[in-house]
Amino acid sequence: MLRRAAPLLVCLGLLVVWQLASLVLKSDSFPTALEAIRAIPVVLGDKDSLVNFAASLRRMAIGFAVGVAISIPLGLSMGRSRAVASLFNPLLMVIYPVPKAALMPIIMLWLGVGDISKTLVIFLGVSLPVIYHSFEGARAVEEKMLWSGAAMGLSSTQRLVRIVLPAALPEILTGCRTGLVLALITMITSEMIARQSGAGNILFNALDMGQYDTVFAMIIIVGAMGIVLDALFERLRARLVRWSEPQFDIPLSFS
Amino acid sequence: MIEIDGVSQVFQTSARQDHLALSNISLTIEDGAFVSILGPSGCGKSTLLYIVGGFVRPTAGVASMKGRAITGPGPDRGPVFQEFALFPWKSVLGNVMYGPRQQGIKRPDAEAQSRALIEMVGLKGFEDFYPKELSGGMKQRVALARTLAYHPEVLLMDEPFGALDAHTRTRLQNDLLNIWERDRKTVLFVTHSVEEAVFLSDKVVMMTRSPGRVREIIDIDLPRPRHRTELLLDPRYQKYIVEIERMFDDSGDDELR
Amino acid sequence: MNGRAITSDALLGMIPIVLLVAIWQALISFGYAPITLLPPPGQVFSRMVQQLLTTSFQQEIAATLFRLFTGFSIAVILGVAIGLAAAVNPTINTVVRPIVRVLAPLPKVALYPALLLLVGFGHESKILLVTFDALFPILLATYHGASTVEQKLIWSAMAAGTPPREVLFKVVLPAAAPSILTGCRIGLVISCIVVFLAEMITSTDGLGHALVTAARTFQAVDMFVPLITISLVGLILNGLLELTRSYLLRGFPEA
Repeated sequence: MLRRAAPLLVCLGLLVVWQLASLVLKSDSFPTALEAIRAIPVVLGDKDSLVNFAASLRRMAIGFAVGVAISIPLGLSMGRSRAVASLFNPLLMVIYPVPKAALMPIIMLWLGVGDISKTLVIFLGVSLPVIYHSFEGARAVEEKMLWSGAAMGLSSTQRLVRIVLPAALPEILTGCRTGLVLALITMITSEMIARQSGAGNILFNALDMGQYDTVFAMIIIVGAMGIVLDALFERLRARLVRWSEPQFDIPLSFS
Repeated sequence: MIEIDGVSQVFQTSARQDHLALSNISLTIEDGAFVSILGPSGCGKSTLLYIVGGFVRPTAGVASMKGRAITGPGPDRGPVFQEFALFPWKSVLGNVMYGPRQQGIKRPDAEAQSRALIEMVGLKGFEDFYPKELSGGMKQRVALARTLAYHPEVLLMDEPFGALDAHTRTRLQNDLLNIWERDRKTVLFVTHSVEEAVFLSDKVVMMTRSPGRVREIIDIDLPRPRHRTELLLDPRYQKYIVEIERMFDDSGDDELR
Repeated sequence: MNGRAITSDALLGMIPIVLLVAIWQALISFGYAPITLLPPPGQVFSRMVQQLLTTSFQQEIAATLFRLFTGFSIAVILGVAIGLAAAVNPTINTVVRPIVRVLAPLPKVALYPALLLLVGFGHESKILLVTFDALFPILLATYHGASTVEQKLIWSAMAAGTPPREVLFKVVLPAAAPSILTGCRIGLVISCIVVFLAEMITSTDGLGHALVTAARTFQAVDMFVPLITISLVGLILNGLLELTRSYLLRGFPEA
């Protein structure tokens, strides 16, 4: 009981700490938690920002879906074939430390400020962790399981789909979980950089205009989205791979 | 002298049910004796060893050494585990030197002692190797040297040769006896191999299946030093083995009934 | 694995990178992309070499590296300390676990505006953001490593006369080292990404700022240079960490 309530208690505790800190600091640019919470309905009630938000989420969903659809097969084949792995590994190593959202200005230069640019950046952000985890998952599949499959007459593609995919599923889903949070982060960051529309843009516009309660309300909204998305996906994941060993249950998320 | 007096151990299973692992064990181990605890898997024999080691606190009863209750691990009781439990970040020499250094012995002295021990367990030349570079048998030799290095009065051996292949196992049994003959430390040796228990011990403590109880204590009256080839032809040795094997079958039946 | 296999793997890995540069060049040579939007690779690389030699660009790199290292170092210290504490102390564990559960999937970049308001537009806000982002992978990896230390390793040390309070540093910390260093590796890449993004969103210096400045004036060449530089910085730092790792973990299997 307490275990389940603990995350809620933590959120509540963080808000209390915030409230106290803001009361002590008494700074104009640091509204109290209550003020920020009161601003949430105002932000969400605004029709324009709601439309903006929906558009952001749609791009995020598309970027995530396409990223997963391409990354899983790539990661799995890398995990099962040394040639494929050595073909792509160096390229991925080079791309890894590049901030995907930072490509926004360049991509905007080529493709404009439309949906395609923004979705493309999210897609890039999602891909790497999903590829990496699929790769690790496929690599860890036991050779003997594949021998049994081959003995039963499965072709190599069939083995990839019917043996490697399910065996690597727990690891793949861990990658997807990181990818999902990353999709959100990349979305927000690229909107902060491009400053055209979306949640990130609302955040910084409010900052520029000194509407500090809106800034903090947006932070709560975005933060809650991250936590809720992650929790929902974790439920789905736990359901899909009930057979697997319980694993380390906190995801590694990063931008 | 180690005294185990009315020791019981209850564990909580994952389903939050109490599981009685050891039930009312009383046992006395004389100084300098080589005693084996023999029993089917899951009879709590390792738990009993951990209690003597001070790693696990018994739910009821007392284990004491030299009249003082055991409350925690100490360098007077040195464990050797089936899993070797060597420090992977230390070389062979580093592992063996760990105990003496903890005892406050100066580095040069600790190193000299450790090198001598490494030679004694037959690993001269491997001082700077890391555990990962050694075979299972060699790792267990290092583990034995590491424990001997802090001069425990009692050796607590937890199925030490259980993870080794048959050939390595026999060789290590012989070597262990040779090393033991030099100073005849007290040894408490947990095993599920009847042959191993009879070959090594002065006394074999047979345990029952879960919950573990002392079923029988058999004195092994065979001459020392023991040599495997001679013993294998010795009818007394064969008789001990057959006798204990039969008891083992009985306790198996208990389980089924 | 023999030497020849490694060489052929490396050659195989060069293919996509070379191909990418070739396509890039071809797009320009055959007139598909105007030079103002996509400068030829040769021009980008010569510009990069030229930039690397100027003091002003070196100062940008220095600013980025300073923030990166400071933020990352704080994250390592905090992450390892909290991770260890949570692994060995049940009370700390009960408190830390739900907090981490809530904060780990939080899109930290959303906190950036708050940091700007609280600590200002200088180094501090960027360093704090880097710390926040790099902290959790390091903390989680440390916790995971420290809580899965083999019990018998600890028992062996205690039997050899190690007092309980020393077990933490003599056994748990070194035994968790492989896991901690893996966490640090993830944290380091994240630090590279985050510092760059923070500089892009708002800064007066650093590599990210260099990219934004170039984007404002539509200097395509100068947009590529900071991106390639951060990728190189990431690769070099990763390589250095890898060297440290293989030295520190020389005793561990599969290091």
